[in-house]
Amino acid sequence: MELGLKEQVKERWAGHAKCRYDDRSDLCEITCARASLAELCGWLFIDKDFNFANLIVEEMPAAWRLRYIFYGGAGSGWVHVLASALCSEETFPSIVKFVHAADWHEREAEDMFGLTFEGHPRLGDFILHDDAWQENVDPMRHHFDPQMAIRYRKPAADWRPRRIVQESGAFVMPVGPKYSGVTESVHFLLETVGEDVIRFMPRLFYKWRAIEKIAEGKPADEVLLLAERFAATTAFAHGLAFCQAVETACAADIPPRAAGLRVFLAELERLRQHAGAIQEICESTALAVAASEAGIFEEDLLRISGELTGHRYLFGMLAPGGLLLDLPDNDCRQALNKSQAVLKQLDNLETELRVSSSFLDRLEEVGYVQQQVAAAYGLLGPVARASAVAHDLRREQPYSGYSQFRFEVPSEQEGDGYARLRVLFSECRQSVHIMEQTVAAMPGGGVLESFKPREGAALGWVEAPRGAAFHWVRLDERGFVTRYHVAPPSFANWHGFHVAVENFAFQDFPIMLATFDLSVAENDR
Amino acid sequence: MSPWVIKGIRTGIKTSAYPRNAETAAGVTPGLPVSSQMDTGAARALVDICPTQVFTIINGRVNVDVDRCIHCYRCVRGVEQPARWDSTYEWGVESNQKKNLLPAFRKSINICVVDAGDCGSCLNEVRQLSSPYYNIHRLGFFITPTPRHADVLLVVGPGTDHMSLALQKIYNAIPTPKRVVAAGVCALSGGVFAESFTCSEGVTDILPVDVEVPGNPPPPLAILHGLLVAAGRKPPVDLQPGSSQANATGE
Amino acid sequence: MMTQAFIIAFLSLCGAGALLAVAMPRTRQGSILAVTGCLAAIALMLAGSSTLISGENFLQPLWELPNLGRMTIGIDQLSAVFLLVTGLVLFPASIFASSHLERGAISNGSLFTVLLLALYAAIGLVFIAGDALSFLLAWEAMSIFSYLLIVASRQQEDGKANSGFLLLAMGEAGTLAAVLGFLLLAAGAGSLDFSAIQGTSPGLGSGLRWAVFLLTFFGFGVKAGLVPVNFWLPRAYTAASRAFVPVLAGATLNLGLYGILRVNAGLMPATDAAPGLVALVIGTLTALVGILYATTDNDLKVILAHSSIENVGIVVAGFGAGMVFVATNHPIPAAIAFVAALYHLINHSFFKTLLFFGVGEVEKQTGTRDLNNLGGLIKWMPLATLAFLVGTLSISALPPFNGFVSEWLTLQTMLRSTELSSAAVKLVFALAGAGLALTAALAVTCFVRVFAMGFLGMRRLNENRQLLEARAGTLAPMFILAALCLGFGLLPTYVIPTLSPAVAPLAGASASDALVPPFFASDPAHSALPSTFVKDFHDLGAQIGQSFLPGRGLVVLHRGGEENPVVFAMSTSYMAVALIVLLGGTYVVIRLWLTRRRKLRQRKRWDGGIRRLLPEMTYTATGFSNPVRVVFDAVFRPTTVEDTRETVTRHFRTAILREQERTHPVDKLVFHPVRAALLRVARALAYLHQGRLNTYATYALAALAAVLVMYLIQASW
Ligand code: SF4
Repeated sequence: MELGLKEQVKERWAGHAKCRYDDRSDLCEITCARASLAELCGWLFIDKDFNFANLIVEEMPAAWRLRYIFYGGAGSGWVHVLASALCSEETFPSIVKFVHAADWHEREAEDMFGLTFEGHPRLGDFILHDDAWQENVDPMRHHFDPQMAIRYRKPAADWRPRRIVQESGAFVMPVGPKYSGVTESVHFLLETVGEDVIRFMPRLFYKWRAIEKIAEGKPADEVLLLAERFAATTAFAHGLAFCQAVETACAADIPPRAAGLRVFLAELERLRQHAGAIQEICESTALAVAASEAGIFEEDLLRISGELTGHRYLFGMLAPGGLLLDLPDNDCRQALNKSQAVLKQLDNLETELRVSSSFLDRLEEVGYVQQQVAAAYGLLGPVARASAVAHDLRREQPYSGYSQFRFEVPSEQEGDGYARLRVLFSECRQSVHIMEQTVAAMPGGGVLESFKPREGAALGWVEAPRGAAFHWVRLDERGFVTRYHVAPPSFANWHGFHVAVENFAFQDFPIMLATFDLSVAENDR
Repeated sequence: MSPWVIKGIRTGIKTSAYPRNAETAAGVTPGLPVSSQMDTGAARALVDICPTQVFTIINGRVNVDVDRCIHCYRCVRGVEQPARWDSTYEWGVESNQKKNLLPAFRKSINICVVDAGDCGSCLNEVRQLSSPYYNIHRLGFFITPTPRHADVLLVVGPGTDHMSLALQKIYNAIPTPKRVVAAGVCALSGGVFAESFTCSEGVTDILPVDVEVPGNPPPPLAILHGLLVAAGRKPPVDLQPGSSQANATGE
Repeated sequence: MMTQAFIIAFLSLCGAGALLAVAMPRTRQGSILAVTGCLAAIALMLAGSSTLISGENFLQPLWELPNLGRMTIGIDQLSAVFLLVTGLVLFPASIFASSHLERGAISNGSLFTVLLLALYAAIGLVFIAGDALSFLLAWEAMSIFSYLLIVASRQQEDGKANSGFLLLAMGEAGTLAAVLGFLLLAAGAGSLDFSAIQGTSPGLGSGLRWAVFLLTFFGFGVKAGLVPVNFWLPRAYTAASRAFVPVLAGATLNLGLYGILRVNAGLMPATDAAPGLVALVIGTLTALVGILYATTDNDLKVILAHSSIENVGIVVAGFGAGMVFVATNHPIPAAIAFVAALYHLINHSFFKTLLFFGVGEVEKQTGTRDLNNLGGLIKWMPLATLAFLVGTLSISALPPFNGFVSEWLTLQTMLRSTELSSAAVKLVFALAGAGLALTAALAVTCFVRVFAMGFLGMRRLNENRQLLEARAGTLAPMFILAALCLGFGLLPTYVIPTLSPAVAPLAGASASDALVPPFFASDPAHSALPSTFVKDFHDLGAQIGQSFLPGRGLVVLHRGGEENPVVFAMSTSYMAVALIVLLGGTYVVIRLWLTRRRKLRQRKRWDGGIRRLLPEMTYTATGFSNPVRVVFDAVFRPTTVEDTRETVTRHFRTAILREQERTHPVDKLVFHPVRAALLRVARALAYLHQGRLNTYATYALAALAAVLVMYLIQASW
């Protein structure tokens, strides 16, 4: 954290904001009056180049507390902007004017808590579909009664999509929720006049399971089950983020061996998830042999995971305080050897894909996202890195001992589908590279250390395979969760996906979808 | 495209021996707990530790309700007397609602896969079915995007509120004769999502399910077995021998 | 003398109707129009058919005019065909017009009735004129009445007078050209009489012939809607009331074609292939341009107007082919070409009138003609939809409807070009054939779109507005024409021999022997055909029906000559029977036998599991034609203006406005200059008449008179 920030806040926002700096966690908490909230956030986001991570709404006994979480690049830490209001007041200024990345976060808060964000142009009909639920359902409020909400179910009968394309003959092409072979349930509305997608409106949350609501009042280790299972293709990453949040809140340290194994497994998961993403890209371009090859690699890696940990998606490994199961060094080495073999074949596949012109034709200059747009939307993960927004939490806000390892953060300039594919391949190499280092320097000792739960709240973050994930956890003194909020990477990337698809023809749509590697389960929670 | 053809041939045959012979590769299944005889203390410990109430004690025997196991491994990791664990993968079970299914199909079948709110892993395992390792096409199983062409409805996920209407529409759109396969504990009991107000306790609340496949997620071979059961080509297994009474009375 | 009686009956019925309309109150106008209009139409049909049946031309000199010669009326076989067809169209059109008159299509009913009946009379007179003067006078009357009818029906205010004026101005320009052409001919003959002109025309010099051809071709082409003088047509059709536009499309359009045929094939038979080739090329271009515009427009009336242009193109291409064959001394192919063209002209009158009835009813009920806002009408008006469907199938040239027969014949005609000697001419024919084939394919796209977007699917606009099935006053005319479409499609072997005598004088041969071999006749009658040939066809069953059907047979046959021994045979009659047997048989086999024990369940359409499929989620007409439009764009390069409106920041869009401006090269290179020139003329005229109709009419007549006077002076020398 550059020392200047606190002083700068004092200077520039005197009378509007108070600043508290915590050295241990490199965290600067700015308490801000509602009136200057938007400008302050805008100042952080635009002038100071902070990234927006998450918006957490908490219903405290007598007041609303809104926490806007920002983080800087390497060397500068975290900034939490706090705003509060009495429970009776339900209006906050919207920050989207300056921080477009917060768009969906505010919409979510509006749907979940019934808050209003003044100046946000498009609230409502987000998580709770207006044609499925009545107004005034605020599920995350403490007093919310699901029985009442369901008993007095009254969806809007005259729901219509919000169309903005004004051209003679424009119409809305509905896709889904069941639209193709093996696909997650999601609904798209494409505004078009017949060939090109002029505007793309995703209607997500068909899979909304309200895990944050389930989590309330549960002990942390049961909430961990939810954290692993709400988006289980990247179960380990989300489980890890949750565990880290709990450990931070309770000021617990984990054994070094557990940290090393966590990194090993996280990178194994990244490798497997990227192989799956590559498989989907090959399949979307109908390149059958390449898709089959990539399918083999994905299954190979699933089997490696299954053999090593007992579960193909690494369930049941994590526990707050370490790991449930110690993995013998030998097993890890074997898993590494097999992963290295898979990587070699992945490299071969990449070499051959790079000379398949029919394949490249369908990826190059397709689904283009400019760097500025990627930054403004706060895109995350490989998608952002392919548009030259080279953020990586493993490098910038290291956790679980990532700072010990040497690795690169691959990035590309073009921002098209092919750039995203190249980033995936490069990250596979980096993952195996990190796995090699962890195995070579695996500390000994136990893997689980018990700790005493205590009251508190903390943010846990990881660079999940699809991008940065932020889990906010508040615990009571028994270690039970009172508020759990996740900002998964797909939430940010779905928000920006429309930029990539608009003004491209329909037939490229599946390809662009595949190159974005979006998870609906992760987004819908 | 000839380099690709050569590459394909070089890779050789990867396809599983299943269903003709058993699959022996490591890591193809997470396994399932099985009922066993245990001393009371250890049995109690299991009942207490399992977050989804899989275990019940009946006449000194630990019974397992596999429809609820979410593979958290807390009954085998870090406990003194672990539960008995079995690494099988033939998990296709006849639903309680429909016993003694008659074979409905003689030839190839088309499968409509519907995601009713899954976590992504069940669907990912279904995706693997088309990879060379499992290659369900060799068995005459095809994935179809439209229920109009489907014979079998394969549902994953707990059945979210927003998807329930779509599920019913899809089920109604499939011509008879049809079979419904529910794969994954979420589809069978809601899994970890069961208590959410936006989820059903499994799609069994929404649709008449014929074949159930437990597992979180069920590995590809288990789903394949479920499909073979639905097609009438493999007999269903009984994963809870002697515990039907326990199922009927519930917890 | 029967013919004469019918003509007198026709004219007096028109007159009596007009008088009654003036005398009777408003509420009666509908019935007056229905009764007198229908009777007049019947008289017209009888006049035509009595001539056709007797096979004798009718000629009746009227009075002698000083210096101008004798005015004559006459009906030859060609006029008879046109009279018959016009009668067949005007009959249902009168019912339709009267029904919509009663339902408020027109504010001033009696004026409309008077004008419409006057127009009927004028149309009839054009066909029976036996000399240039009567012809031109009738023509002029027809033009003015059309104009007045467009202006008189004040259904929508804006632009109407303008369009009517455009129609008149264009018509007048065309008429002047045609007058000049006639005068050149008459100068050569020393007489205005048609028979005299016909006698002397072969002696004309080639420069003069070219002048006459170009003047009359494009002069009459204005009325018919030929490229490049067709831009007035969609505007006039949209301006015209729904009660009147069927007459415009079904009857007056034919006048232009009649004029071209009468002069360039009748009065002045071609001696040189070049004018025919010009007609062929212009016809094909017209067809292509027409259908491309039709396929990409969304206003039903505009679509039908452009489709009329397309069909006129096909007819003129047929004329052109016939003219080339005449000039190159191939009488039989020439006869076939003329028969094909005439057949198509008749068919177009039927199905286009039918379609305009449908569109009129749709507009009346829904209040819109925009395809993007229609949809789902089949649920509310199943019968009207059925009749409309017949129209779309016919115009898409699908068997067993009439459009198929005439387009088949036209395309076959193009294939006969192999018998021509010049390679260049053959090439032109081949290209024209390809162009016409493309036109036919696009026509299917166009009308699948019209039918699907208008009548199928979901309703897109005014979902709550009550719609009703069309009334008898609309349905009856629609079904009359639908029956004609089917009849002319099923029985070409009866139609062709009827048309054949009409074109025989133009081509110098009869087409009926070439096209309809007497498979029903007993052996000796086959002498024209090789016996093995006959045997083969008999083995195929071409004589089926012999014992109980009159006529020559049910097979249309098209045979090349010795050096071109190809045979094309087609029988829509047998085809229809086979279709019925096959489809019925399939139904019986599948439904009544194979699946008789299965219960049929009807399920809603599969919508992807969406909660509610909304009308705005269904394909629009623009979307449907977008592929055609994209191909079109590559050629015509429109300019697209896109404007994105945003709120708050640049990533929140509130509107994406997109406007496509299509300035096509055809427009730029041809239409715009022509239009500009004409508008200049029109403005000058408007200045002269200072906005007053009757003065303008006087000017137009004065212009005509002036030309005639010039002719008088020249003739008296
Ligand atoms: S693995 Fe299954 S049976 Fe064991 S504790 Fe977890 S949920 Fe219960």
